[in-house]
Amino acid sequence: MSQEPNPPSLEREPVEGTCPRCGAAELSRYPVNSEGGWFDVVKCRSCLFSVSRDPGPRLGPVQLLSDLL
Amino acid sequence: MTTIEEPAGRIRDLTDEQFQTAYHADRFTGSVIVNRLKYAVGHMSTAFLREAFSPIIRDWYDFACTISGPPAQDYGMAVVSNSLTPFLGTMPDATRNAVEEFGPENLSPGDVLICNDPYRGGRHVNDVLFTRPVFVAGEIVSFVTMCAHQLDMGGTVPGGFSATKTNVYENGLVLPPMLLWAKDQPVRSTFSLIFDNTRWGGLLLPDFQSMHQQLQLGERLVRENIERYGLDAFLGSLAYACDTSAEQMREAIARIPDGDYSGSALIDADGLDDTVDYRVRVTLRKRGHDIEADLSGTSAQARTCINCGVLDAKTALGVALTMLLDPAIPFTSGTWRNVDLVAPPGTLLSALPPEGAPMMFWEPSGALISAIFEALNPVLGERAVGGDYGSTNTHNASGVRDDGTPWTSATQCGGEHGPWGATKEGDGDSYTVLYNLNNLDPATETIEHDSPVVMLRKEHAIDTGGPGKHRGGAANLKDTLWLTAAAQHLSPFRTKEPSGVGADGGKPGPTGAMWIFPPGEGTSGPDGLLGVSSDVYARSTPVAGVLDPETKALDPEKGVYHYFASQKAWLTEAGSVLRCLTNGGGGWGSPFEREPAKVLADVRDEYVSVEGAARDYGVVVVGDPHFDPEGLRVDEKATTRLRSGRSDERGVS
Repeated sequence: MSQEPNPPSLEREPVEGTCPRCGAAELSRYPVNSEGGWFDVVKCRSCLFSVSRDPGPRLGPVQLLSDLL
Repeated sequence: MTTIEEPAGRIRDLTDEQFQTAYHADRFTGSVIVNRLKYAVGHMSTAFLREAFSPIIRDWYDFACTISGPPAQDYGMAVVSNSLTPFLGTMPDATRNAVEEFGPENLSPGDVLICNDPYRGGRHVNDVLFTRPVFVAGEIVSFVTMCAHQLDMGGTVPGGFSATKTNVYENGLVLPPMLLWAKDQPVRSTFSLIFDNTRWGGLLLPDFQSMHQQLQLGERLVRENIERYGLDAFLGSLAYACDTSAEQMREAIARIPDGDYSGSALIDADGLDDTVDYRVRVTLRKRGHDIEADLSGTSAQARTCINCGVLDAKTALGVALTMLLDPAIPFTSGTWRNVDLVAPPGTLLSALPPEGAPMMFWEPSGALISAIFEALNPVLGERAVGGDYGSTNTHNASGVRDDGTPWTSATQCGGEHGPWGATKEGDGDSYTVLYNLNNLDPATETIEHDSPVVMLRKEHAIDTGGPGKHRGGAANLKDTLWLTAAAQHLSPFRTKEPSGVGADGGKPGPTGAMWIFPPGEGTSGPDGLLGVSSDVYARSTPVAGVLDPETKALDPEKGVYHYFASQKAWLTEAGSVLRCLTNGGGGWGSPFEREPAKVLADVRDEYVSVEGAARDYGVVVVGDPHFDPEGLRVDEKATTRLRSGRSDERGVS
């Protein structure tokens, strides 16, 4: 039995700035799924404060060919 | 339309005026409306259960009903029926995604919109979402929604329950959001699309018609509330229901110490071969009243259809947090308000099309629940909960009777039901469904009526509940005798590692297995019941489990793994017996702190053997549980000696 050596991991894009709640300079941008579906968030890695939460693509990483119609 | 904004403070601390401003109803009226809507989904469920033709609806309760808010409230799911959590957890997103893609502006009164795509709405293609808008003055004010398992949705395996399908094209018919009824008139092209591509349309058609009736009932009951209390109060009450869940979850999360907590669970193999096992991993980052659950590190999506979509992972996250932190939290959209799921695309829990389709979706999502239990149990102390039996070990078989008529049996004769783990409140239940399901168990009489099978044995297996101050539920042992030749699809996924993890010092439940016993030479079946001792397995064909290579009995320490899909379908002769043994539930608390009287009762009831009582609990029981159960007694002196000599078992250093 084996598992792949490098299983998928979500990459977080570092964002300049400090957290307005805890002051940590650990902001990063990434997609999350929560109440309301997908969001592109900028969050503090230290205290999880959401600096911004913008609605993301309806199906996240899944793209429908029919959306091109 | 009224705009609803979440109040700033705790709902219970709002003044009557503040509550009225927030929810456009007084506190009492808001509660009444929510409860009347719970009645509505309950009434829809009861009616459907009574009318359904399909066994998986009628006997398994494999459906759910919800009421959601309008687009202006972002489709917030406010009220749910008492039924399947995988349905309920995915239905808020499924309804939003289906309606938004179809276009709410394209809906009319009397429409029923359907969708079954796992990537759009979660679950698998057999679970079809049926949603109906409720209009007032030309505007959508709500949705009444049902999700129901259809016995077949096409694909390469009758009934669909198989781990061997490799992509969405083999998996079954995918329905994008489309109308099944338009202005209460059936859309013939949609019906034809379904019936031309699925099996057993004769069962599906009356169930579709019944669901149409239940959705009309639900709409009628919603309208009655709007007419009695007003639209603003109705919409405010939907928001109130979601806010209540969100607030309770937020406060439950806040009670956990801040930290990063990790857990994992193993899936044995997919349906291609046994060269790869699959690990679910989760890290829960908890800060204040927020949780972020990161699935990074979870194995890449499987090569065959044992995956689930991200909405099922999100559902499992909500179920696990609700069970562990506060089971009283109503399951609504608000459950996830303070919970973010971080899911790398293309994992076992966040599969992408077209390869590795989701079909056995509850297996990896159930493993995620196990992983969350493993992550949080250490920090929860006495509030920790033991793990369940981990896999429904699903059985799906088909064949032809002697008179030439085909038969099929789905999810009836495997190890679909089994034990839960123990809690601080007591022993684990011994015969229910996985934590992320909520079904009924089909009646033996129904199973034997519908298929050429005889249920020989359906009982609790001895010494299979995880030892603890509170014992885990016992594994289920099921023997079925098949009267015709059959093609059997068997899907046990978690036999390598115990799924019934221990809690607060309790021990895990053991792993299970599956065997097929062919008929003896020159016979049409067994001479009698198969025994349960380890010497009966030598003549069996092992299907799954970690077994001794010679005796073919369970040997989790030194045994060899047997791969459930080494045959794509297990072809059995008439007279064969299938044996399914589930995993055991996890124990809670130190086994040596279990009251000897309870161990005695366990021995008397044959949950625990005399040997197991001494080995696992340090309790010496004297007598014969089988032939003289009332004569059993505890040897108290010997018990004291045994327990004091093995203080390490209590976690005492």
